[in-house]
Amino acid sequence: MRSARIRSRIFKVAAGVSAVSPLFVLLFLAIVLINDAWPAFRFQGFSFYSGITWNMGNMYANNTIIHNGVQGSPGATFGILPFIVGTLASSLIAIIIAVPISLLSAFALVYKVPPSLVKWISPIVELLAGIPSVVYGLWGILVLAPAIANLIGPWLSHLGHFIPYLAGPVGSGFGLLTSGIVLAVMIIPIITATSRDLLMQVPHLPIEGARALGMTSFESVRHVAMPLARRGIIGAVILGWGRALGETMAVLMVSGNAMNYLPANLYSPISTMASTIASLLDSAMTDYTMLSIHALALIAVTLLLISMITNLFARLLVQVGRRDIGTEV
Amino acid sequence: MTNKFKKASIMTITALIGAGALSASVTMVPAFAKSHRAAPVVKLQETGSTLLYPLFQLWVPAYKNVAPNVQITPSGTGSGTGIQQATDGTVQIGASDAYMNNHLIQQNPGMLNIPLAISAQQIMYNLPGVSKNVHLKLTGNILAQIYTGKIRYWNDPQIAKINKGVKLPHAAIVPIHRTDGSGDTFLFTTLLTDTNQAWANSISYNTSVSWPSVSGALGANGNNGVVQTAEQTKYSVAYVGISWLDKGLQGGLGEAMIQNRAGKFLLPNNATISAAANAQVGKTPKNERVSLIYGPGSNSYPIINYEYAIVNEKQSSPTVAAAVKNMLLWAISPTGGNKSTFMTKVHFLPLPKSIAPLSKAQINKIHG
Repeated sequence: MRSARIRSRIFKVAAGVSAVSPLFVLLFLAIVLINDAWPAFRFQGFSFYSGITWNMGNMYANNTIIHNGVQGSPGATFGILPFIVGTLASSLIAIIIAVPISLLSAFALVYKVPPSLVKWISPIVELLAGIPSVVYGLWGILVLAPAIANLIGPWLSHLGHFIPYLAGPVGSGFGLLTSGIVLAVMIIPIITATSRDLLMQVPHLPIEGARALGMTSFESVRHVAMPLARRGIIGAVILGWGRALGETMAVLMVSGNAMNYLPANLYSPISTMASTIASLLDSAMTDYTMLSIHALALIAVTLLLISMITNLFARLLVQVGRRDIGTEV
Repeated sequence: MTNKFKKASIMTITALIGAGALSASVTMVPAFAKSHRAAPVVKLQETGSTLLYPLFQLWVPAYKNVAPNVQITPSGTGSGTGIQQATDGTVQIGASDAYMNNHLIQQNPGMLNIPLAISAQQIMYNLPGVSKNVHLKLTGNILAQIYTGKIRYWNDPQIAKINKGVKLPHAAIVPIHRTDGSGDTFLFTTLLTDTNQAWANSISYNTSVSWPSVSGALGANGNNGVVQTAEQTKYSVAYVGISWLDKGLQGGLGEAMIQNRAGKFLLPNNATISAAANAQVGKTPKNERVSLIYGPGSNSYPIINYEYAIVNEKQSSPTVAAAVKNMLLWAISPTGGNKSTFMTKVHFLPLPKSIAPLSKAQINKIHG
């Protein structure tokens, strides 16, 4: 009796600690990062977000410079606009490619594919979501980049007469379009699985009713299922977008890692915020003024903020989406 | 090391890379040996340069036979990390392709930069139509102009002038650089700094630099990534660590002859690398923090460097100090770690006979 009570107490405390730990981790991360990023913001000001030159300065020089009371290596200047543009543009391309494919396959899985096949296909979709990003990156280098450089790029560039940013030069195949496609392949399983789960919750009766009224399968999905699950599906899309924003390794491998210039067309090399943090941290550690590390921390804060906002927004929409389905029937 | 540097760096790095628990790295475990006189086990941690990492992986099992009670755990993280963690005291031995800058040394006067071996770097290119038997000639000055976008095409008059008889295409050059912080970038940008004034004034040298914006220029991750990208990108040029030479040649890349200070165009090989090392023995100061790039000597290959162990001369205890000292003395010994069986496997050259005493003198400064 007594031991049961003790066990129950231990369980309560352990569960409580575990439950609040994510909050503390997030708080700890935010506080540490903001604290570390602050000197870089004082040094650079808002030109951190509008500048296109990233230079950690000459660490082997014998002097240092002081700007706004913050010490840095000579020549140090930090502008991350190319990284922000690279991050947003590549994730946007990923979304444009991934959304139609994911939604169509989710609809197919729920309404079209016979249940005996779904049993096999559904786990495969989930399996795809679990493949390490470096594998996608390798595929990007070996298969996709040459295909873009020699095949897809030259073909797309013909459309450049009508559509801005599609004109050549196509370049080496390492760049914005390749990054976008690799990211799309990575987020398709996420969006597909989430929207499939949402659509499964849509009650059968309205769909059957629609079919009984003579609607085609496209019409019944378009006018009945889609409106019921719409907001939730938007949430699923934003969830995938969040993944694309933060992806590091795969993008590092195929983006061409451009520095100090903005992409000129769809095939230009780019860099993203996440891959920049990963690739420059080692050198930043030999900056004795610490300013380079502060600047990387400021990129991290910016990225954290962007992905937190998109994630919160997505969660909200998914929640509202679930409620829509529940209340309207 | 000031408190500010230490505290902020530890915090940030923990947050940024979510570093797992870096357990206290030196632990003295009494060996539960049969004989109570058995020496206690000493655990040493090594981290840093990914170029030196394969060498440490060869050394560790071999050194077990020399000193069975010393357990060394090597890891390849990057030169900057090696310097930082050796300075922090997280590891006993940091490995770096670049020597520490003056500011860091002033801040941490006890840090030793000890050369363990000699490494080199070659320039490779992807030039369809140019025979594999031909080695294109290039100079540091021309490379600097390629990487700043002043020379845009392979048939530029400056390149054509020193490559008479080679049919150069009118194709845009794609310069490839390392994206991650790298000793190879340090060597390459030092060469450009030494040979091109504009480069020296604006960009200078480091393990990462602010690469000028050249349209189409590419960055790649690691030597592996650079070789792969160069193989796939026609008309590209890249700098590659010597241990990746065979891989690049197999992939169809060309290897350039680079002009040395005496004006001669050379390929990196045992003769030209050791000539370059021997020619600069007199130039090496007692603290051995020196660039060997673009050195004197008619037969000296211009891109070579010392591979450093970064060690704090004050270790946590006399036992640990002795273990670090003995390990490093073994590493630089021609009958120990500098044996050709180790060196040839990673394409390094042993320390020149006249340099070894300088490294030895530094190692002997290590104390508990």
